[in-house]
Amino acid sequence: MSVIEAIRAGRTFEPAVHPQIALEPFVLQASGFSLWYGKAQALHGVSMHVPRGKVTALIGPSGCGKSTFLRSVNRLNDLIDGVRVEGRLVLSGQDLYAPDVDVIDLRKRMGMVFQKPNPFPMSIFENVVYPLRVDGENRRRMLEEACERSLRGAALWDEVKDRLRQSALGLSGGQQQRLCIARAIVADPEVLLLDEPCSALDPIATLRIEELIHEISQRYTVLIVTHNMQQAARLSDFTAFMYLGRLVEFGPTAEIFQRPRLPETEQYVTGRFG
Amino acid sequence: MHDEANIRRTSLTARGEPKQWLFGGALVVALSLIAGLLVIVVVEGAATFWPRPLELAALRDGTRVLGVPMATEVYSPTAEQRVAIEGLRARGELGGFAQDSAGRALRRLYRVANRELGHDPFRWVPLHEVESVERPREALFVERRSWGPWIGIPEALLEVDRVRIAEGEPLPPAEGMVDGVGVRYVADGGGGEGAYVRTREVARGAEATIAALRAALPALAARRAEIERINKVEIGRVNAAQEWWRLRVREMEIRLAEASEPAGRLGWPAWSGVVVAAVVAGVGWVRLRGVPGGGQRAGRRLGAWACGLVALLAGMGAVLERPWGARAITAEEVAGAREEAGAAQGALQAEFDALRARVARLEAEDARVRVVVRDVTTGRFAPVRQSEPEEPLAASQVVRAVQPNVLGLGGRLGVYGSRWWEFVAGEPREVNTEGGVFPVIVGTVLMTLLLAVAVVPLGVIAALYLREYARQGAVTSAVRIAINNLAGVPSIVYGVFGLGFFCYTVGGYIDSGPEHAASRGAWWAVAVVTGVVAFAGVALVAMSRPVPGTLPGSRHRWSRRLAALAWLGAAIGVAGLLVATPYFRGMYRANLPNPTFGGRGLLWASLTLALMTLPVVIVATEEAIAAVPRSAREGSYGCGASKWQTIRRIVLPGAMPGVLTGTILAMTRGAGEVAPLMLVGVLKSVSQLPVDLQAPFLHLDRSFMHLGFHIFDLGFQSPDSDAARPLVWTTTLLLVVVVVVLNVAAISMRGRLRARLRAGAF
Repeated sequence: MSVIEAIRAGRTFEPAVHPQIALEPFVLQASGFSLWYGKAQALHGVSMHVPRGKVTALIGPSGCGKSTFLRSVNRLNDLIDGVRVEGRLVLSGQDLYAPDVDVIDLRKRMGMVFQKPNPFPMSIFENVVYPLRVDGENRRRMLEEACERSLRGAALWDEVKDRLRQSALGLSGGQQQRLCIARAIVADPEVLLLDEPCSALDPIATLRIEELIHEISQRYTVLIVTHNMQQAARLSDFTAFMYLGRLVEFGPTAEIFQRPRLPETEQYVTGRFG
Repeated sequence: MHDEANIRRTSLTARGEPKQWLFGGALVVALSLIAGLLVIVVVEGAATFWPRPLELAALRDGTRVLGVPMATEVYSPTAEQRVAIEGLRARGELGGFAQDSAGRALRRLYRVANRELGHDPFRWVPLHEVESVERPREALFVERRSWGPWIGIPEALLEVDRVRIAEGEPLPPAEGMVDGVGVRYVADGGGGEGAYVRTREVARGAEATIAALRAALPALAARRAEIERINKVEIGRVNAAQEWWRLRVREMEIRLAEASEPAGRLGWPAWSGVVVAAVVAGVGWVRLRGVPGGGQRAGRRLGAWACGLVALLAGMGAVLERPWGARAITAEEVAGAREEAGAAQGALQAEFDALRARVARLEAEDARVRVVVRDVTTGRFAPVRQSEPEEPLAASQVVRAVQPNVLGLGGRLGVYGSRWWEFVAGEPREVNTEGGVFPVIVGTVLMTLLLAVAVVPLGVIAALYLREYARQGAVTSAVRIAINNLAGVPSIVYGVFGLGFFCYTVGGYIDSGPEHAASRGAWWAVAVVTGVVAFAGVALVAMSRPVPGTLPGSRHRWSRRLAALAWLGAAIGVAGLLVATPYFRGMYRANLPNPTFGGRGLLWASLTLALMTLPVVIVATEEAIAAVPRSAREGSYGCGASKWQTIRRIVLPGAMPGVLTGTILAMTRGAGEVAPLMLVGVLKSVSQLPVDLQAPFLHLDRSFMHLGFHIFDLGFQSPDSDAARPLVWTTTLLLVVVVVVLNVAAISMRGRLRARLRAGAF
């Protein structure tokens, strides 16, 4: 347990990053990224590349900072008072925390899906086109086309095409989550951020969402936080294991699950620790 | 040692039974009080208009009393009465109605009405004095336009005409029969030679008179309505036109008087310079603002704001100092206007006279048909007016003639319905104790709606600031406490404030402009300073925001405090600019010293109550905003929505049911409030509704009537409060109904919103 002990003792260490990562073109790059909620430090100098067009899973025990990292990417943490960051987080060459960044514009380049389905209290149609509406798109034709495209992309079109005008709150939990995914992809984001998208769903709904994520990962860069090892193994191309706000190991999923560099990673993915 | 039962059974105390009884009992008492209140209001209020029988009591001393029996009660007779009662009982002459089952003496309250006769309209009769009671068929309850009801026996229906017998024609006999109708001629003292008053007796006897009266009433009512229409609509229109011309001339005269003061406008060259400055600064503002949504540097943003400030000030100057506004009015123009107005006034006066003549003709026609209804006690008939006791009542004075003793259930229901309709849709008569309350309902509903219109936006904006924008801390907590305390301030205090601030200060300002206007130079100096301070506020706010991802330092905290100070200063500056502007001379000065908005009125009453109910809306809205789930907000921000977009599209719709709850509470409290209204706008009786067909249709400056005040007025301020008491209940019932209707509307709206928001809650 040398690495874990080092982390617990607060010593610095070099995370085990597999060399294959460096070969991938990346869209998001964190370098020495730290984050504090008031006095409590949640992220300790995380440095990692998120490869473009691939699914990257963030795994780790509760409180390891994976959600915090995800929410730092679209700066949702700005909403919380007393958040301080250090280091850099670069999206396609743009420093996300530079003073002249328009955070609204930034968020429009990403889509996010949350742990609990959070459809807005409006019609299914309005839910899906919400990102376009807030971007000032009001042309009926455009909105309808985008809505259909996006709902088809989220494998929800056939189920809801006859009741687009009805409240989104009338959908089942799994449908609601797929609706949220449709909403997240409607504006063609550069990165799709998924924060434990299946943890509030039953197994059948989870399966459908997983299939969906697998499908849309052909088109988008996906960064997914999950508690579920099988899910990470099934869905992702790359997996990052985090612990207590630090990146521990990052590599191709197959390697992380079959030939991890560190014994701690192996223990975690096999369920013996965490 | 213990016996079986004691071991098994849990004691009542342990299960909390006694407390349950106590608390449940308390709840039952509270609920019964509320239910009792509603039942009493409904029962008493609904009973007012039910036609009650008329009873004729023949007293042993020969007098007869005809009236509506209101109540019968046991009383303690005096010694003399006791002797009389015992005597009657001994002789077996004491009627069964004079004593209760235990043999105690009874007395009965009769409503005998007939106020002109100079007696109390209610009379207690000890029943042992009564020889017999009956309910005569012909007894008539006449509801009149003035002097309250008259109760009596109808005798005859007359037609009174003034006729002139030409010279040479035979003089008619003083009394005779023509075609079976009794005709009487009396020389008309004021009419000169040959003038007679001819009285034709169209009907005689109770049944015939009632039938003839019933037949005549519709035509009379139509004519009465026509008279009222002319008085209200046509003469009102003429009066309004006359007033308009008078104010027009007056306004020009005032402007002429002001023309002698030094002209206060820029010349064309200077003004053109100001316009150019405004345009240049405006262009700078647009250019510097850049593309919306694009990243921008703070310096650039501040430059844009500075340009905006300059553009705003210069634009204001260009409007206020426009050279063509300075053109003085000439004496010739005023003279011309005066002449024009004179001609118009003449035409209007002619129209007015014609209308008055028409009304007089109709009224004379109206007075032809008379009905003789005799009081049984005095034998006198209802007079046409109190000063002419020998002239019988004009039939046009009769609103409704009810023969309650022959009415079947259907007839009673008909009278009941028609009285209710008159009450709800009619105008009040007889200092509010009779007739309807239509203007009162209109006033109440309008005031309540205006109150909602004023309080909801203000309350929602305040709650949004407190919950969404303000930094939560000691200051916001203090503000919340202050708001909650405002809800506890006695309402009369709001009334006093409304009178002093809204009516006199704001209203007076609207009417006559600032009391002490500053000089133009000083005013513009203050305007520039205010602008700069506001600009500094904007800049300081920008400086107080830390770079994202860093914590605010002391520089940011101080910027924030200074920004607050700057905003405060700017607000004071704006207030000062308004108070001392040399550019506003009042909108209704021609009407002074009569106030237009400077007195009590609907607008100020609504605003006062809006202020009073503001805490309710703020608190309810704040709670509703806080209850919008964090996940929905994060979802919206995650979609790239700005703060305002999130508030408008997610937070506000989600908080809407709560807002409506606050609105309902505010409207309920406002609709039932009386004390402050007495100070800021309610009158006992108004001649004009606050809404009518004269532009601008909604007259916010007018006083209005209000159900709450009406109840107080009926019960305690009317000359005949005994007779008005049943109306107190009815008006109370109506107030409850109005409040319930307003609430049900709001609640159903809320219900629909909630259904939409929670369609999928499982």
